[in-house]
Amino acid sequence: MIKLTGLTKRYPGRSVTANAVDGIDLEIPEGKLVTLLGPSGCGKTTTLRLIAGLERADRGVIEIGGQVVSDPEHRIFVGTHRRPIGIVFQSYAIWPHMTVIDNVMFPLRVNRPRPKKSAARETAMQALDLVGLADFAERPAPAQSGGQQQRVALARALVREPKVLLLDEPLSNLDKGLRGRMRDEIRAVQQRLGITTVFVTHDQDEALAVSDEVVVMNGGHVIEQGLPQAIYTYPQDMFTARFLGVSNSLDGVVDSVGPDGATVTLGSRSMVCRQSGTAQPGERVSVFMRPESFRLSRRQHSEDAWPGTIEFSIYHGDCWDYHVRLDDDLLKVRVYQEKVGLAHGDSIFLEPDPDSAIVISGDKQEAEQTPEEASPADAVARTR
Amino acid sequence: MTLLADKQVPAPAARSRQRRSWRELLQPRYITLAVAALVVAYLALVPIGTMLYASLRSEFLGTTPGTWTFQHYADTFSAPGFGQLVLNSFLYAGATAVVCTVFGFGLAWLVVRTNTPAKGFARIAALVPLIVPGILNTVAWSLLLSPQRGPVNVLLRQGHLPIFNVYSLVGMVFVQSMHVIPVAYLMGTAAFTSMDSSLEEAALASGSSPVRTFRSITLRMARPAILSAILLMFIQTISTFEVPQLIGVPAHHYVFVSRIYSALQNFPPDYGTVGVLGVFVLVVACAGLLLAQRLGRASAVQTITGKGFRAQPQDLGRWRWAGLAAFLLFFLVAVALPIAMLIWSSLLPGYEQPSLSALRHLTFSNFEEIVRRPGLAQSVKNSLITAFASGFIVTVLTAFIAYITVKTKIRGRGLLDGLATVPIAVPSVVMGVGVLYWYLAAPLPVHLYGSLSILIVAFVTITLPYGMRYLAPGMSQIKDELEEAATASGASWLQAFWRVFIPLLMPSLLAAFLYTVIVSFREISAAIFLYTSGTEVVSVQVYDLYSNGSYPVVAALGVVMVVFLSVLAGAVRLISRRFGIKSG
Repeated sequence: MIKLTGLTKRYPGRSVTANAVDGIDLEIPEGKLVTLLGPSGCGKTTTLRLIAGLERADRGVIEIGGQVVSDPEHRIFVGTHRRPIGIVFQSYAIWPHMTVIDNVMFPLRVNRPRPKKSAARETAMQALDLVGLADFAERPAPAQSGGQQQRVALARALVREPKVLLLDEPLSNLDKGLRGRMRDEIRAVQQRLGITTVFVTHDQDEALAVSDEVVVMNGGHVIEQGLPQAIYTYPQDMFTARFLGVSNSLDGVVDSVGPDGATVTLGSRSMVCRQSGTAQPGERVSVFMRPESFRLSRRQHSEDAWPGTIEFSIYHGDCWDYHVRLDDDLLKVRVYQEKVGLAHGDSIFLEPDPDSAIVISGDKQEAEQTPEEASPADAVARTR
Repeated sequence: MTLLADKQVPAPAARSRQRRSWRELLQPRYITLAVAALVVAYLALVPIGTMLYASLRSEFLGTTPGTWTFQHYADTFSAPGFGQLVLNSFLYAGATAVVCTVFGFGLAWLVVRTNTPAKGFARIAALVPLIVPGILNTVAWSLLLSPQRGPVNVLLRQGHLPIFNVYSLVGMVFVQSMHVIPVAYLMGTAAFTSMDSSLEEAALASGSSPVRTFRSITLRMARPAILSAILLMFIQTISTFEVPQLIGVPAHHYVFVSRIYSALQNFPPDYGTVGVLGVFVLVVACAGLLLAQRLGRASAVQTITGKGFRAQPQDLGRWRWAGLAAFLLFFLVAVALPIAMLIWSSLLPGYEQPSLSALRHLTFSNFEEIVRRPGLAQSVKNSLITAFASGFIVTVLTAFIAYITVKTKIRGRGLLDGLATVPIAVPSVVMGVGVLYWYLAAPLPVHLYGSLSILIVAFVTITLPYGMRYLAPGMSQIKDELEEAATASGASWLQAFWRVFIPLLMPSLLAAFLYTVIVSFREISAAIFLYTSGTEVVSVQVYDLYSNGSYPVVAALGVVMVVFLSVLAGAVRLISRRFGIKSG
């Protein structure tokens, strides 16, 4: 439905060497909700604005529903108002001088052929009904709460029955409880209408919850793309792993590859990793582990367990976070069923879960570690 | 803040309220409030009151005791030509207001909302009203556009085009607009900057064409700001002296201001009629200002700002060069042309058309004249004294007022704030007449009339709101905790004010001071009623010399003024930028 080929956008103004969007190739299938996920400044919003035609690309082709809407090389640029899109902004952008219904009717009133006022009103009411705001139609728009404005914006974006719905961090201005509800509602509406949707966010939970597919972006590039569960469980890239909260990483060398997975030597320790991808014996790799993928105990239950000491502990109510020192490495471990807290200096044993360890090739690591892509997550990881 | 007062007086809560409030009233902060309120009330209200009184008395400044009467009102309103006077005034001010707002907002939109490469010109445009006083603008344009010898008209005649006679209603509107457009531009900048560009983008994404979006979203959103700008330009235009006097009178196009001036020049002066006209202008100005404020409040409600707020410039494509051309043209016409004219005239012994042959006559004799002529040197001295004195007084006074209104919760601070902004609504002409009446009539032990003090009093009153404009935001940038920390360290209120607020406020104080000096230095609309022989200020001197036809000396004096004001304006800008002061 949406196809981006070699899409490039320079930073405006000064001649900065880096691009805001740097040669993106992306295909967004019909009827799917695809999330562009990444830290601020990764180019996700710029990509969305390029699709909407609010910014002009410097290179590359944008197609919507088979029609080329932007191709600077062939001097093709279809204006925003002629693209079959609906958009919801971070600030909602509800026109404060109109009532709710006038806001929603506006797209119809500027449409060609222009529908009759009564017909337009009916369509607008249907759209408001869809977002549960039919009773608020005659209210002035600024009188609405954040969540209601959000719904007005959604109704306004959908009323024209666009081919593509674009959502630019639509939930970031809402408070926490409402955010979850709106997120589910947006997903429900999207699935009911089966509308192709691009959802931009920096919040991984949001992205995992709503998407058919997640596109992870950084530094103007697409890092990886896939089903939410695949991206979450087995990220293919260091950046993705760190961005999705896989905070432990240990460098090592692949020892041998067997039917049970690869055995990786990590300094004086070693472990079996079931999901080793294409790792070859002798290859330098990083092993990523989530804080919750360890078994922590006071006694050594198996040969594979690593001895360590507690550096410090944080109590969260439903779980404990322990920072565990293993020689030179510091690992973050999260334990859910622990009743008694461990204290600084306690000796413990850590047993890594071979199923959830993620092996990422060391060559790839070098390639991805260009300075401008260093995100806070990288910085934290590197200090280790 | 009142909590703080509690701490200073360790009185148990059980003690009676009354006793505490008595002690509170004797604290320095309350005494300061009282003094400030009295001073401001005296400055703001007494002149207006006197004028009102004069308009309602059968005799003012006469030897016989008068009675209360509405006779002056009846006479003035029924006098032949009064309808014409009102019509002329409204036509002149209304047309100017609309022209200024259209151009000012147009330029502001180009700068704020589009990628027109003109930011440098925009910055200069914002400074123009500070560095070219209205009187010089008027003088320069009447030289440029004089029907016979004005170089613009000479050029037009050579090109067989119809000439532009500045001595007409259109001429008045044009010259006044040249002076006021930058002010409208500043207001437009504020309006467009506070508008979230995603509102426009949402319309585009709804399928609305760019033109339609501009019409039904951009203009509609800016409407309150536009209307209130029109009203404010109207008030400013209807209450200034130079254009109606220098251009309107030769054109026989009388408006309120020129009528008031001529009525006071007559002998015996018609104090009653002047009072009535003054009250009339005051009422018009107040009504306009109230309306503008209401609109401002309405637009404040309308601005929603969320996290994703941006003022994204719109890509004009090739049209942005047209935008640049508009800026160049504006710069050329509104800034370069008048200043060039002043410089050219100032360098010639007698006026000549700009030409190569005239270059031989170039001389600095006009500048020497300024030093040589005793009256001229005296006027420069007078201007410096009055401007700096007013600047100093206003800065100190508004520092206290701003502290009280921004930083305390003392009852009565709202009234003080209101009083300090009253002078905004009082046209400078009305202020001049009011101050004149009061010091002529008041049974005061010291006679201020005929001294520079009366000018200082008027300038202080007129510039009070400008001082507040710099100091109130400056004051609110200083966190309450800083003062509380000082008090908690054992400092008294006065010590805290002196040792904590004043140093932190220094940039704002300096900016307020310089700005007030500038406004006082170029002020003529009030000064023209208050000077006597020996107390002329530069702006008045420019008017006098111009009326006598000594254009070269006027031009030289003008150049000196522009240089002086440029330095001050540059300093204001530097300070504001350096310390991030938001004014306005």
